[in-house]
Amino acid sequence: MRAHVAEGSVLRLEQLTKRFGDRAALDKISFSVNSGEYVSLLGPSGSGKTVLLRAIAGFETPEEGRVIIVGEDVTRMPPHLRGIGFVFQNFALFPHLSVFDNVAFGLRNGWEKLAESDTRRRTLEMLDLVGLNGLEKRGVHQISGGQKQRVALARTLVIKPKLVLLDEPLGALDANLRLRMRVELRRIREQLGIPFLHVTGSESEALAMGDRLIVLDRGAVSQFGRPGEIYENPANPNVAKFLNCYNVFDGSVQGDAFVTNYGSIPLARRVASSKPAYAVRYDRVTTRAGAGAGLSAAYIASEYMGSAIMHFFETPDGKVVEFEHHLSNGPPEAYEAGRTYRLSWRPEDGIAFV
Amino acid sequence: MTATETIVEAAGAKPSRSTGSAGAYLLIAPAVVWMTLFLVVPMAMIVYVSFWTQTTFKIEPKLTLDSWQTFFSSSTYISSLWTTVRIWLTVLAATFIFGYPTALFVGLFVKNKTLQTTLLVLCVIPFWTSFLIRVLAWRPMLGKEGAINILLMKAGIIQQPIEALLFTDLSVVIGMTQIYVVFMVGPIAFMLGRIDPNILEAARDLGAGFWRILRKIIFPLSLPGVVVGAIFVSVMVLGEFATSAALSGRKVNLLGNIIVTQVGSLKWALASVVGVILTFIMGVVIAGLLRIVDLKKEL
Repeated sequence: MRAHVAEGSVLRLEQLTKRFGDRAALDKISFSVNSGEYVSLLGPSGSGKTVLLRAIAGFETPEEGRVIIVGEDVTRMPPHLRGIGFVFQNFALFPHLSVFDNVAFGLRNGWEKLAESDTRRRTLEMLDLVGLNGLEKRGVHQISGGQKQRVALARTLVIKPKLVLLDEPLGALDANLRLRMRVELRRIREQLGIPFLHVTGSESEALAMGDRLIVLDRGAVSQFGRPGEIYENPANPNVAKFLNCYNVFDGSVQGDAFVTNYGSIPLARRVASSKPAYAVRYDRVTTRAGAGAGLSAAYIASEYMGSAIMHFFETPDGKVVEFEHHLSNGPPEAYEAGRTYRLSWRPEDGIAFV
Repeated sequence: MTATETIVEAAGAKPSRSTGSAGAYLLIAPAVVWMTLFLVVPMAMIVYVSFWTQTTFKIEPKLTLDSWQTFFSSSTYISSLWTTVRIWLTVLAATFIFGYPTALFVGLFVKNKTLQTTLLVLCVIPFWTSFLIRVLAWRPMLGKEGAINILLMKAGIIQQPIEALLFTDLSVVIGMTQIYVVFMVGPIAFMLGRIDPNILEAARDLGAGFWRILRKIIFPLSLPGVVVGAIFVSVMVLGEFATSAALSGRKVNLLGNIIVTQVGSLKWALASVVGVILTFIMGVVIAGLLRIVDLKKEL
C-alpha cells in the first residue's frame, strides 16, 4: 500500500528543550514518528507547537535534547542539510517565480544535482499529483488560495523529504476548501508514503487527519495516542478541554463521590491526574430522567448544527454546560429559557481526574 | 474599441462622476502649473537656446547649428563626455559594491526594527554637514601629506607617499562614492526589509545554501531597490561638477564642469548644448534601468 516501508522511527525527539529567556517554550519533549505515519500535533496557541516544528526543521536551536532523523543526530545540523520538508502556514511561495519554478526550486538548488530534464520530469509529475497541470507558467499571484497550498505542498514533496512538517497548513484557507484539502492531503500522503507531522489548533482537524495524535500543553506533551483513544480517554482535564467535546467541572473527591459546587456525582471511572476535575462528553448528557449522575442548570440557548443540536445550560454560579443532542435520536425537546432542568448522564460516562 | 468608448462616455455622463474628477484635477493643478513654469518651459528654452547664434559678447535668437558643431568637433568636449560616462559607471559600480552588503546587513540581518531604523539614520548623518565640506574634507585625507599617507608610512607599509590618491580619477570616485552610496543603500534596504523571512526559511528547507539563496531569492527580490538606487546615483553623478572640481585639481572635467565654465564666460548657447546632451544621457539611462524591472508592479 505504501511506497517505501522502513523499519523503526523516522523522527525521534529526546528530551528536547528550548527556552526563550527563563520561559521554557519546549519542556523535555520526547516522542517518535514512524515511517508512513500521519501524526497530528494539537495544542492551543502558545503551547509551543510551532516552535517544536521549527526546532525539528532546524530554524530554532534547542538548548537541550536531541533531534534524530532516520537514526542520525541532526540537532546541530543546519536546516538545508536535514532533508525535511516544511510547509508554512502562509505558504511562503517565492513571489518572483512561476508555479513551475517554485516547485522546481529544491531540485535545482538543493542537495541533489539533477539534470534539467530530470528536474522537468519530476516537477511535472509532482504538479500532476497535486492537481496543478496546466498552471505551470502562472505567477504565484495569479492562483487561488487552494492552488497556492498545493504549490507549497508540491514544492516540499518534490525533493522527496524524509519527513514533512506542516505548520497549520489549512489555517489560511476558508472552511469549505479546508475540508477538501484535508481529503487531498491524505490522498497525496498515501501515494507517497512520506510521514507527515501536522500542527494544528483545530481539534476536529487533528482527530480527523492523524493516525496518531499528540496533545501539546505549555511546551510539554500531555498525551500521545490514537485519536479514538484520546477522544475516549483524555489523560488530564486540559486535554479534555482542548478536545472541545467535554464539560469539565472543578471539585474534589470525597469517598465514592466527586463533590462540585452543584452537588456530588458518583464516581465510576478514575484517571490519575495532577489536578482534580470531572469531565463528561457533550453527547453523553441528557435531560431525560433515568440516568444516575447529574446536576441542575438553567437553559440559555441552542445552536442547530445539521446532524445535531447543541444546547447550552448555565449553573447558578455561571458555569456553562453543553449538551449535544443527535437528531438521529429523535426530535429535540423544547426548553424554556431561564428554567432549570436536571442534566444527567450514566456514571460510567463521566471521567474523574483524581 | 467602440464599446469601451461608450462605457467611458456613459461613466463620464454621470454627474457625480464628473464633479469627482473635476475635483481631482483641481488637486493636481498647482503642481502642473509649477512644473510647467519651472521645468517644462525652461527645458524647452534650453533646447531652443542651444540653436542660438553665439558671438563673443552676445547671443542672438538666430537659429544655427554652430554650437552643436563646436561641441562634436572638439576633442576636449568629446573626451569630457567619455570621462563623464567612465566616472558615472565607476561610481555606480562602487556604490553597488559597497552599498549592497550594507543594505543586506541592515535590511535582512538586523531583525530588530528599531536598530534597523537607527542604522539607516546613521547613514544619513553625514548629510547634516554641507556638501562642499564633505567633499573638501577628503583633501586632508587623500593628499600627499594627508592622513592616509601618514598612517601608511608610520605603519611602514609604504616608504614614499602615494601621490595618486588625490587629484586623480580615483579621488573623484572615492569622494562621489562616499557621498552617494547612501542613495543606493536606502532603496535596497527597503526592498530587503519587505522580504518575508518564511520565504528564506523555505528556500533553506528545500536545501539551498546561503549563496544560492542570495543569488536566486534575495537578489531578484531586491532588484527594484537596486534599480531605484541606481537611478538616484546616476542622475546625481551625471549632473556632478563640485566633487570633480574640488578633488581632481581640474584634471577631471565632467560635462557638468563644462556647463559651469561656459555659463561663467556667458557662452549660453554651448552651455545649453551640453545641458541637452546631459539630459538626453540621463533620459536614456533612466529608461534603460526601468526596463529591467516593472516598478509599478513591484512597489
